[in-house]
Amino acid sequence: MLWYKAWRETRKVTLVGIIAMAIACVLIMYNQQLMRDHADAPMTYIAYIYKAVYNSMGRDIFIILSIILGSGGLLQEKSVGTVGFTLSLPASRTRILLWRAVVGYLGVLAIAITPVIVVPLGSRYLGQSYPLGQAFGFFVLWSACGALFYGYTFLLAHILEGEHTSILLAIPSLMLYGVLMGLPWLARFPMLNIFDIMNGEDMPFFDERLRMLVGPLPWLTLVVIPLVAMSFVFTASRRMQPRDF
Amino acid sequence: MIPERIIQTHELTKHYGDFHAVNQLNCRVRSERITGFLGRNGAGKSSTIKMLLGMISPTSGSGTVLGHSIANAKDSIEIRRKIAYVGEDKGLYGYMTVAQLIWFTKSFYPDWRPEVEKKLLAEYRLPPGRKVKALSKGMRTKLALLLALSRRPELLILDEPTEGLDPVSIEELLQTLVTAPANGTTVFFSSHQLSEVERIADDILIIDHGVSVLDMSLDQIRENYRRVTLGFNIPVPKLPTLDGMEKIHVNGRQVTILASWNSEAIAQLGRERNAVAVDIAPISLREIFLESVQDQNKQDQQTHWEQQNALV
Repeated sequence: MLWYKAWRETRKVTLVGIIAMAIACVLIMYNQQLMRDHADAPMTYIAYIYKAVYNSMGRDIFIILSIILGSGGLLQEKSVGTVGFTLSLPASRTRILLWRAVVGYLGVLAIAITPVIVVPLGSRYLGQSYPLGQAFGFFVLWSACGALFYGYTFLLAHILEGEHTSILLAIPSLMLYGVLMGLPWLARFPMLNIFDIMNGEDMPFFDERLRMLVGPLPWLTLVVIPLVAMSFVFTASRRMQPRDF
Repeated sequence: MIPERIIQTHELTKHYGDFHAVNQLNCRVRSERITGFLGRNGAGKSSTIKMLLGMISPTSGSGTVLGHSIANAKDSIEIRRKIAYVGEDKGLYGYMTVAQLIWFTKSFYPDWRPEVEKKLLAEYRLPPGRKVKALSKGMRTKLALLLALSRRPELLILDEPTEGLDPVSIEELLQTLVTAPANGTTVFFSSHQLSEVERIADDILIIDHGVSVLDMSLDQIRENYRRVTLGFNIPVPKLPTLDGMEKIHVNGRQVTILASWNSEAIAQLGRERNAVAVDIAPISLREIFLESVQDQNKQDQQTHWEQQNALV
């Protein structure tokens, strides 16, 4: 039943996240003609959706929600006063923590898959078309990269005490990471830039002109990133074992 | 089989930096009895309980609960499966309703008793549909007690269980606790309400500065502890120390001796030293508790005062 506790802890953010993502996608699609008419250069519908959903608002919403979902755990429970009850249950700290990590990440996946459902369906309703394969490709990219944002915040949440401390540190540190990745000597390693992998920008599997995923996805990178995220969760678990509450 | 000593600690120690929360504590809690665990604020009660539950790790020493080592992670889970615990802060998940929290909690315990759950829900007037965060502190305490008492645990550990309860609920809780040993449940509870402890406890464990200062059955305390008052019409003569003399206070021509036993011999000593008035009186748990901790309390106050002066 630890899954239930984890679900209740993440439910609100997950549902609000799904709704916010769906509303954002709908608004983006609804305003497509107006926005495309006022664009500096002519833009296809597919390019517009890419720019607005996968390279702008949708992506930003997803990253922030992944960070928020990663911010739970035993130290957060300590700050709200429920950790005594949780640790008195006949369950190991590892189990408690892993269930929280798994259920929280399922929330990340649920938010990531929202555009896959909303964008192709909404596009059809508006008389436009957005390929399901494209939406699914971005879902795969978001799922892997979201795991990293999620795992990173999850680790911070198991290092720093306080209800929102991990979020407050994760957001500026990821912004700093983004700035660092823009430096010329780091820009030579595009596969280190998670933000670019997420939206495909400057990547060999992405066509800049069509704004579409074209080549095979970087599967090795997409396996390595979740493994790094898992190592963050594992480290968080190791940190919690000897901790006094 | 339940061991006769359900909780046992040997030189159990917990340090937080320079602060010694629990200091080489040796204690034993007998099965199917009610043990009152007393001490001032910061005496080490909660730290001891948390060590027993595996929430904090001992700095040194060892302990067992129901025969399981508190230092072993797997044993610790087994301990928590067999016991019920109500913590001092009664922190429960505010985002769940009363019914959801009950449903969630009972899934961990095969010994859950639905009939007791229903009885306590009615008795405590807990609204099943209300969110825990919307409950008053007293109601949250009642819910925490319901979650602990709806089972038939081998050991019930309660940290300040009556805090925040109204008098009627306190009375109902005490009645429940009194009957627990008859059902095979040992009760180990900390409290600052000495009158409650005196009413229901079989054994008393007092700790101060993390050290056990009294570990005895209440019957033994009642039988042996006495206040011996000796009145003299001459300056108080020097009295030799006899076995059982715990504390001696001299006030003018009157000597008050706290005796843990041997009170008759102490009184006889007074008579031999020409005491004109000799009185042996029973002593309450409150007085024993205060006598046990007040010397250290004065020392602490003095140390604190000196530290404050040093800062100025």
